[in-house]
Amino acid sequence: MRKIQHTGVIREYDMHAVPVKIGYGFILFLCILMVVLAVFPLVWVTLAGFKDLKEFVSSTSIIPQSFSLKPFATTWSQLGIAKNYLNSMISVVGSVACALIFNGLLGYGIGILKPKGYGVVRKLVMISLLMPATISIVPLFMNIQKIQLGNSFLPLWLSFGANAMYVILFAQFFESLPSSIIEAGRIDGCNQLQTFFRIVLPLSKPICAVVSIFAINAAWSDFLLPYLVLRGADKQTVMVRLFVFSTEQTVNADAMMRSVVFAMIPPIILFFIFQKQLTENTVSAGIKG
Amino acid sequence: MSGRTGIKTHAKLKSNVQSWLIMLPGLILMTFFVWEPLFESIRMSLYKTRNVELVRFIGLDNFVSVVGKDNFLQALQNTFFYTFWSLLIGFVLPILLAMLIGETTRGKSFFRMAVYLPNMLPGLAVIILWSAFFSGEKSGVLNILLAKVGMQPQSYLTHSDWVIPIIIVIATWKGAGATALIYMAGMSSISPELYEAAAIDGASIWKRIIHIMLPAIRKLAGTLLILQIISVFQIMYEPMVLTKGGPDNASLSLMQLMWQYAFGGSMNYGKASAVAVIVTLILLVMTAIYSFFNRKQSDWD
Repeated sequence: MRKIQHTGVIREYDMHAVPVKIGYGFILFLCILMVVLAVFPLVWVTLAGFKDLKEFVSSTSIIPQSFSLKPFATTWSQLGIAKNYLNSMISVVGSVACALIFNGLLGYGIGILKPKGYGVVRKLVMISLLMPATISIVPLFMNIQKIQLGNSFLPLWLSFGANAMYVILFAQFFESLPSSIIEAGRIDGCNQLQTFFRIVLPLSKPICAVVSIFAINAAWSDFLLPYLVLRGADKQTVMVRLFVFSTEQTVNADAMMRSVVFAMIPPIILFFIFQKQLTENTVSAGIKG
Repeated sequence: MSGRTGIKTHAKLKSNVQSWLIMLPGLILMTFFVWEPLFESIRMSLYKTRNVELVRFIGLDNFVSVVGKDNFLQALQNTFFYTFWSLLIGFVLPILLAMLIGETTRGKSFFRMAVYLPNMLPGLAVIILWSAFFSGEKSGVLNILLAKVGMQPQSYLTHSDWVIPIIIVIATWKGAGATALIYMAGMSSISPELYEAAAIDGASIWKRIIHIMLPAIRKLAGTLLILQIISVFQIMYEPMVLTKGGPDNASLSLMQLMWQYAFGGSMNYGKASAVAVIVTLILLVMTAIYSFFNRKQSDWD
């Protein structure tokens, strides 16, 4: 077996010194402590979900008395979470589609086509990156009311088609594509739209994956605009429901913890499927967060 | 000759028009969802509003009335406290995490994964989860842990000096790992030969950190610092959910004040917009500072 080398500030031969060895042990200890701090709250909330209300408010033990899944099943059916899950799925699918199509095309425009005057658009998009949507949520909500799109998923889907960060991610990626390939498409007689779908998109799977993952997660987690738009109970997503619980205190503390667990399961699954893409591609995208 | 250039300019025009048409749907959405609302909030801040209607132009009255209330000064002060605590707790931590993980050999990708995980979780769920942690009851998790070392249970979220740092700790728990990965990317671009050469010259590990690693990430740290300030300045739903701005407005933020004017029952969109415009102005100043520090870098960074 090949020996794993020290490749950071500490080099391989530093490890011969005893203090460095102790120091390295300490670094490992801190890293493990970090993992515990990152994961413990999740373990705790799951364990808390097994407790009934009486146990939750009075018990001073972190481990529940029983590990029966019944409380989870009861909360799921009593609060009708299945419906909220379905609504969240509807919201997520439409949002991802809009995020890919509209931001992709705009990114294609400022990354490859670069028509006369595109610089203005690029500047505007860059500025919007620093001015997130919460600032203008009031007039945006009024606009949606004015065109009578309240209580519909459509404005939520379309809002994902107007994301400055995704546009910039696409544009940056497209710019890095070899121009000879795109030129070849043009010579073969593709118009600009055909070039996009036949040549650019098939080469852009990595960036589409990244934007999709971010959009899935953002659409799942979003609740401010969905709360304002989806007033009707039949369209509430998981997060809107959770927000209503938290502001109106309509459910007991134990059921609340189980709802939190339900809200976290899909992102955690997504995380484990795509952990590699996520931990490698935060470089440019993470800048915003 | 002139005929050929005519065809050329015609083709160029056609290609330009086609390009703009391709960008049009995205531009319409950006206008509707981002750009127009930004201008609209400026306009609305100057009007007396009833529901979604603008009743009449009243100049700066909304601003005067909003700023004149006690809760505005409190919210402004709190927002700066949020920023201060966020820098104190959340700025250096990701750099330390990145340095620690960067030195590990086995398990590096596992550590990266684990610290990134909280960033994937929905912010609202995270806040509710932590509210149970800091609960003042005996069954609050922190109190359970404190009882184990023989300490009395404390009431955390009703303590006006503690709420803001606690909210920042929660936000840092969620975000620090993701920021650490950005720093790790920055550190991985340092050539290993540099360390190798420094080591041969007899530079100690500390010297290598101070003279090679830290200068290499200085620019990145500057950018992330400004972005962190801009983002924490807009903190809103965390105090809204965790403390409702309490106790006694001790955790009320500016953006939360905006939300209260608009959706807290009174539906005063004009005053809400006035608060939004004030926040935007402060952010603009910060953005100007950001681009000032950033001006030597390439367009995209």
